[in-house]
Amino acid sequence: MRWLACELHTHTLHSDGSQTLEELARGAVGLGFDAIALTDHNTMSGLVGKEEIERQTGLRILPGMEWTTFYGHMVTIGLSEYADWRQAERGGIDEGIEDVHRFGGLAGLAHPFRIGSPACTGCFWEYEIGDWNAVDYIEVWSGTSPSIRTDNRRAFELWTDKLNEGYRLAATSGRDWHNQNATDEPISVTYLGIEESQAVEEQEGVGQRSGGAAGREAGLLLPRKVRTESETEALIRALRQGRASVTIGPLLTMTVESGGRSYGIGSAIPAAAEEPISAVSQAAGKSAAESLSDSAADSLRNPPSIRVHLTLDFSVRSGLWSLPEQALRLKLCSERGEERTLEVLTPTPDGRTAERLDGDGDAAALSPVRLAVELPAVSEADPASRSSRRWLRAELWGTARGAYVRIAFTNAIYFDAPEGANC
Amino acid sequence: MLLDKQGTATPEDSRTHIRIPFELGEGVERLELRFEYAPKTLDDRERALELLRDSYERYILPEHRERALIRAERHLPLKNLITLSLDDPEGYRGACHRHDPVQELSISREQASPGLIAAELLPGTWSVTLSLHCIVTDTCDYRLRINAFGEAKS
Ligand SMILES: [Zn+2]
Ligand SMILES: [Zn+2]
Repeated sequence: MRWLACELHTHTLHSDGSQTLEELARGAVGLGFDAIALTDHNTMSGLVGKEEIERQTGLRILPGMEWTTFYGHMVTIGLSEYADWRQAERGGIDEGIEDVHRFGGLAGLAHPFRIGSPACTGCFWEYEIGDWNAVDYIEVWSGTSPSIRTDNRRAFELWTDKLNEGYRLAATSGRDWHNQNATDEPISVTYLGIEESQAVEEQEGVGQRSGGAAGREAGLLLPRKVRTESETEALIRALRQGRASVTIGPLLTMTVESGGRSYGIGSAIPAAAEEPISAVSQAAGKSAAESLSDSAADSLRNPPSIRVHLTLDFSVRSGLWSLPEQALRLKLCSERGEERTLEVLTPTPDGRTAERLDGDGDAAALSPVRLAVELPAVSEADPASRSSRRWLRAELWGTARGAYVRIAFTNAIYFDAPEGANC
Repeated sequence: MLLDKQGTATPEDSRTHIRIPFELGEGVERLELRFEYAPKTLDDRERALELLRDSYERYILPEHRERALIRAERHLPLKNLITLSLDDPEGYRGACHRHDPVQELSISREQASPGLIAAELLPGTWSVTLSLHCIVTDTCDYRLRINAFGEAKS
């Protein structure tokens, strides 16, 4: 898995931004981003010429548009054509989301609790959503210094509430970036995970389009003609699948080992995989680690468990962010609340961490901190119910700019309900 | 001139669209649109603070309202916002979502003002949609003028 640093909410002078796409792209590269989504208000005209800018800067530019309506702002990413933002009535956003999906796009709630009209017209989400299954993501962190903002805290709680209700939707950050004025506030990054093979395939696809054609061609029909999956498409797919991790600092990733298999962020663990003996021994094939047979034997005596692997990479976007030295708290959260809390020390200046060091003798390189945690597969309170948790995510907490805040969080890994159980 | 449309909006017109259709003949190579509205800001400070207080009750949790009121200055002056979007006989031709109360726009096959999409100017029924996101002043006058230019005049 390769994690690309993305900024998913930006504007240019094609709406109310005061920067060209090229200025935006160069600014993004300077801040260590691999990709941006251009999400101008109600237009995609700013995408004309994007291929040339991608070539010059090496940045990937995802097509997008921010529906800037009377009852909410909705970020859409990956569309090939316009979906009409002007039709949506207060109770009719579901049709709008359907249109976005029909054109290959994803729909997310932008800054859903930012104050609305007249201060910021339509900025507060007032649409009644009929089917939350249709919503692809919520932009839970908006702006710079996102984790201390009270409106973002409400958005984060909304996301958690929906996960608790059983919906599977992603959470992102978006700077809502309008200009190139420098800021010293923490900048959030949404990392999207793509598989290596996709990225290799993509190299052939990049730049195949002739480009330069004015009008509809260049602006609107973006990824359609590319046969192999481009990196751009792989990123959109990653967002669709919730393969995302958000941070103002280190990259936090998680996998869950269950029933002999490993599951990444955004994926769902089948109920059978948590069954103790039979499922484990069947699945324990080529990829089984030796610890696995132990745990299979273990599960004869003990309730089944899952193993959560956490990785904190402090080397990402090196030099572009900093945290004071401290003991950070790494939490595993689910609808059961905070299930585990671990301490992780920030790396010292010489690159060593007090936690486990997987170094190969290269003291200068900041090696990722890796931790593993065992969790019961079923409810500890009521093991007989065999009810698994619905979702699990990791969160990193610590002090940034004098405030104790969330520094990073993964998107969720989901657990399918056992057959016959209601969800 | 192809079109000259004036009107007056009031706060009750907030969150509505005004669709203004117009016909385009053969051989048009460039459209010029001039869109303006006034006033832009609500200068009655007391009225503005009253509107903000109302909106804070709707949008901000009780425990954060007091702090928001102390910082209300950051939201002043309150502004009217009307934006323009354009449709040709076959579909969407973009929008100009920005705060400028006077916008001089043009569109042709080769070039377009930021927000609009350069492409063939097809004959048929076009329309401008004015989106009245928010009107905070008692009245707000708007005016839209459109000129079409063919080969001879360009
Ligand atoms: Zn917005
Ligand atoms: Zn925005």
